[in-house]
Amino acid sequence: MNQYVISTGTVTYAIKGRDLLKRKGYPAKVVRNSSSAGCGYGIVFSGDKNDAERLLRAAGVKIIDIKEQ
Amino acid sequence: MIYLDNAATTGRKPPSVIRAVESGLRYYSANPGRGGHAPAMAASVKLYAAREKAAAFFGASGAENVVFTLNCTHSINCVIKGVTKPGDRVVTSTLEHNAVMRPLIKSGVTVDAAPVSLTDDEQTLREFETRITDDTKLVICTAASNVFGKILPLTEIGRLCRNRGVRFAVDAAQLAGVMPINMQTMGIDYLCVAPHKGLYAPMGIGMLICEKPIENTLLEGGTGVNSLELTQPDSMPERLESGTVGLPLAMGTAAGIDYVNHIGIHKLYEHEMHLCRFLYHELKKLPFVRLYAPAPASGQFAPVVSFNIKDQKSEAVARFLGEKGIAVRGGFHCAPAAHRAVGTLADGTVRVSVAAFNTTDDIKALVMAVKKAKNL
Repeated sequence: MNQYVISTGTVTYAIKGRDLLKRKGYPAKVVRNSSSAGCGYGIVFSGDKNDAERLLRAAGVKIIDIKEQ
Repeated sequence: MIYLDNAATTGRKPPSVIRAVESGLRYYSANPGRGGHAPAMAASVKLYAAREKAAAFFGASGAENVVFTLNCTHSINCVIKGVTKPGDRVVTSTLEHNAVMRPLIKSGVTVDAAPVSLTDDEQTLREFETRITDDTKLVICTAASNVFGKILPLTEIGRLCRNRGVRFAVDAAQLAGVMPINMQTMGIDYLCVAPHKGLYAPMGIGMLICEKPIENTLLEGGTGVNSLELTQPDSMPERLESGTVGLPLAMGTAAGIDYVNHIGIHKLYEHEMHLCRFLYHELKKLPFVRLYAPAPASGQFAPVVSFNIKDQKSEAVARFLGEKGIAVRGGFHCAPAAHRAVGTLADGTVRVSVAAFNTTDDIKALVMAVKKAKNL
């Protein structure tokens, strides 16, 4: 399964996103990372990138970028 | 000491709240939302959990809407100064605490205060309705008077605001944790909370729950993200939380919410109102005592009773009661507007405010002491 890092910026969105992904059955954890917006936090997860993005955006989680690890 | 000044802060905190604060100090002494190491992550998760709990308790749409502030006054300042600009029209009530009035005056807005009836909510609503117009920028009012306990008809005011597209902020210092507040059903856009009162949490922290944006920040600084940018980030709640958040206090707040939920907010409220009604009826029997509100009916009043003793200064009575081992507050309670509205501006009142840990014996002791205060 492919692994991705979803950059959310703040730790609040990272935790919110992680919890949403985990409830959907995707292994996910919060990490400190850098993105196109600078330093911040992200979610490392394994699974369907498009599904994850849809899920997070629908819940209002800000996504800065998604990169494959 | 019999503590009857819970409107200032709840005088006894539950052991679970104290344990939560201690846990924060012992086991989570890392800065949430700053580092990537395990202690910082653990602290971040604890802080998020506190936000989630508060969001659920107050019917907010998400944990990210919950901002931890320095106190409720700070929350109110964030709203007033963040949403309005000089010259904007703001509607408020005549029972407001200085936490609302002073920032309103300082911010240069035009203030229109709707008179609040202690007996007729329909009358209060008519006063709000005539004042909320298309050019009203914000309606901000107390949920319940800290002097007279009167609860404002929040759901109906919220409906007026929604119908006219006006943002609605509530100073919930006296009602959060005392009676249920649901931001969605009440149409509240900004809820300002004093956790150290009705949520039995430690002093030194406040909450601001936002269902609408706040355009201008009161405080800018480090937020743990986008460090290379010199402008404040947009994302909530970090946008409104510059600097280090008081995590142990936030954990205490979460424990306070658990405490209220565990006992039951309705059960707590009925206990407190029973004590207030008992007090009210005992004071009513004393011809030298003056009361200013009707008998405290559930749903209409927070557990606060104000009175005066004929020919005695309220501060002198409060001092006397303090010497007898009973803590109440005399004077103006940082709410001259409320005293002006009800007619007690000359000398203020003696305010009694009960909470979970108070008993009927406390009230009986107070009444006995009040009888002795007749001739100071």
